[in-house]
Amino acid sequence: MKKNTKNNIVTCGIVLVFFIICSILSSAGILGSKLSGLLIPIGIYIILSVSLNLTVGILGELSLGHAGFMCVGAYVGGVFSILVQDTVTSPIVRIILAIIIGGIAAAIFGFLIGIPVLRLRGDYLAIVTLGFGEIIKSIANNIYITKDINGVHFSFAAPVADIDAASAVDIFKGAQGIKAPQDTTLLLVVIVLMISLIVIMNLVDSKTGRACMAIRDNYIAAQSVGINVTKYRLVAFVISAAIAGVAGVLYSHSLAVLAPKKFDYNFSILILVFVVLGGLGSMRGSVIATVVLYALPEIFRELGDYRMLIYAIVLIVMMLFNNAPYFISIRERIAALPFFQKLKPKKKAVGGESK
Amino acid sequence: MMSFISYLVNGISLGSIYALIALGYTMVYGIAKMLNFAHGDIIMVGGFTVFTAMSTEWCPVWLSVVIGIIVCTVLGVVVEKVAYKPLRNASPLAVLITAIGVSYLLQNVALIIFGSASQSFTSVVKNVAPVTIGGVTISMETIISIVVSVIIMICLTFFINKTKAGKAMLAVSEDKGAAQLMGINVNSTISLTFAIGSALAGVASVLLCSSYPQISPYTGSMPGIKAFVAAVFGGIGSIPGAMIGGILLGVIENLSKAYISSQLSDAIVFLVLIVVLIVKPTGIMGKKINEKV
Amino acid sequence: MSENKTQNTEKETSVMLEVKNLCIQFGGLKAVDNFNLTINKGQLYGLIGPNGAGKTTVFNMLTGVYKPTSGSIILDGLNITGKHPAQINKDGIARTFQNIRLFKEMSVLDNVKVGLHNQKKYSTIEGILRLPRYFKEEKEMDERATELLKVFELDGEKEQLASNLPYGKQRKLEIARALATNPKLLLLDEPAAGMNPNETAELMNTIRFVRDNFDMTILLIEHDMKLVSGICEKVTVLNFGQELAKGETAEVLNDPRVITAYLGE
Repeated sequence: MKKNTKNNIVTCGIVLVFFIICSILSSAGILGSKLSGLLIPIGIYIILSVSLNLTVGILGELSLGHAGFMCVGAYVGGVFSILVQDTVTSPIVRIILAIIIGGIAAAIFGFLIGIPVLRLRGDYLAIVTLGFGEIIKSIANNIYITKDINGVHFSFAAPVADIDAASAVDIFKGAQGIKAPQDTTLLLVVIVLMISLIVIMNLVDSKTGRACMAIRDNYIAAQSVGINVTKYRLVAFVISAAIAGVAGVLYSHSLAVLAPKKFDYNFSILILVFVVLGGLGSMRGSVIATVVLYALPEIFRELGDYRMLIYAIVLIVMMLFNNAPYFISIRERIAALPFFQKLKPKKKAVGGESK
Repeated sequence: MMSFISYLVNGISLGSIYALIALGYTMVYGIAKMLNFAHGDIIMVGGFTVFTAMSTEWCPVWLSVVIGIIVCTVLGVVVEKVAYKPLRNASPLAVLITAIGVSYLLQNVALIIFGSASQSFTSVVKNVAPVTIGGVTISMETIISIVVSVIIMICLTFFINKTKAGKAMLAVSEDKGAAQLMGINVNSTISLTFAIGSALAGVASVLLCSSYPQISPYTGSMPGIKAFVAAVFGGIGSIPGAMIGGILLGVIENLSKAYISSQLSDAIVFLVLIVVLIVKPTGIMGKKINEKV
Repeated sequence: MSENKTQNTEKETSVMLEVKNLCIQFGGLKAVDNFNLTINKGQLYGLIGPNGAGKTTVFNMLTGVYKPTSGSIILDGLNITGKHPAQINKDGIARTFQNIRLFKEMSVLDNVKVGLHNQKKYSTIEGILRLPRYFKEEKEMDERATELLKVFELDGEKEQLASNLPYGKQRKLEIARALATNPKLLLLDEPAAGMNPNETAELMNTIRFVRDNFDMTILLIEHDMKLVSGICEKVTVLNFGQELAKGETAEVLNDPRVITAYLGE
């Protein structure tokens, strides 16, 4: 078997084993309700970070607007589910349809945004993706959808006027967001997560993935061997957006209320932190970093305001430790000690360079 | 018409504050090639310092302002030394994430000390009456913001183009290695850049908190992002670009708040940025750099 | 008219590259002026000249990196003037770069497999779903890439990152990658730069081998006159963007004008 394939199977295995063990512990009551409640968001966050890793790690473009695509998926899927709540009564069918629709909507946004954005490079691309993310959030903040006896009414920037007050039901209430049916289950999240992971890893280990990495490493050389740079950048960007959209659908169906405020640039940056700390281009790294970095602050919730302070310090120290030449040389000296040599094969670093 | 002029003047005032912050972004980017995400939070620290100093009885307003600027300057230099300098040759992403870490750190320290609720900031010119010119009433904060920013921009342009230290900054931003070979102390030049950028952020914090008299641990992040947009808008790395970008951004934001929608003004600001970058991918004043094949 | 046509068909059989009156201007500077070049199929052709003469600029125009201001480039009967680099590669020109441009974070094998990209037809969807064609074509790609690496004695380093290869091997890998695109014409930009005399001698053999075994036409830029006189059948000398001399290698290299251009008055 090829080395890549083996690696990918191990990554999928790690994810499966993690969720199986956690759900066993959870049903046995060992994990406690607070931690059990984290499993669904962790799964969703992993989907987000592997999808962002496709853009940042494989395609090599710094995107700061990933939350925008998630936002599109969350609200398109959520509004769909609310609208069909009475006709499609099976939650599983409903959410699968919502996932498909939300994913397609996010892909369309990815395509439309990708065409202008991918003409830019580096920091300019980063700021424009951030801008698009904020625009999507602002637009969502101003959407009002209300259903009454006469049908569905849509309004922008102001609540819907002229409604039949008696039968009116708010579907999307501007800054307050939506209340989608809570159809997301842990099993579904794990299945979607596995599919996303396999899709991305298969993509990376194919002609398309190699083309993207070639563009990342040297786009002039990539063109010189006949790679259509625009096409492959767009393909990777759209797939990444679509998967973020799917994660958004799961997210909106896992919360009682979801307000657009959630999808600001800080959210995109949070996911980016997972990706960078997990190692660019390493899907396994993204998975591990997401679990660790998402779970830790939640576990230490008792520390109150201090936990985010500790998180910030850990983040800075980790980046320095992994990337500063001074620390790298110290680390290499420590790793060369006989004691650590024995441990080496078991070592699984959550760090910038684990590829 | 009168109201239009008043919106325009207020926009220029807000824009000149953005320009001051954007100058910090652009100078640091030019010299260290990094996006200093923590720059906005330096503003917040400056704001809280002035806020605290003014709330003590013995400290006069002018001294509070000076203390605020000094604290920002020192903080900027310390952050550079501790967090960014060790990463000088690391990947840009590693530096970016570290800057984000610094931003979280500053916000959370402020959160622990001052709590998350907004507190009201007393304007540094609260007892001065607004001025009425030809039927348009302009607040003292607005006038001071514009005047102070213009003076600073003139001084900065003079400093960079006419003094030895300023030319050293230009040289380092052009080519670190060559500058070092010419006998320029790169480390101290970078420190100086951070010091100036952070001092400007300190000034901006006083102006910003006086014009919009509130302060919270998150006060700096949105103006920070917008100033960053302004810097990119004008062509990141370009000092006149940051000034023009900042002022344009402030005007666009204020006019769209007034005439289109206050909720959508941020979206409009970003939309204009996107359009500009698509038409001119390196910003208004940015240089186009062709990769040599 | 009909006479013209017969001439054309004759050309298609023997001429690989026909460059006519090629000019490019950057601002006010004419970097290359009125450049003409005819290369026959199977020829090993040298493009030489002092630094800054415009040699790489000619390569950049031939491969579409720069659009010529005027003039035409005909590759094997097909007009490729002003096309995009990727399209020109598909039409049959592959190149290496003066400052090596490998895919540094990819393995040696994958570098060559990127070169094979356009010869395999499976789509992105087939790749994601792992349909049969994916496995069949990936296997073919692996085999072909390994074969190419063997030619350059790189098959032992298949799994290494390209950036970990020593300099000389990086140059060879670039040639292997270019050959993987199955070109008609191969452009080599200073293939011997930074090599010692032994490595250069070895490289000369490799270039000859490629020409003979891959049925290749080769145009190369080189400063090492030993290499040029050793393998090039014909050369063109560029100086200040203009053609100074062209013809049989030995004659041109002994031309006093060429010697002056290189050594000065």
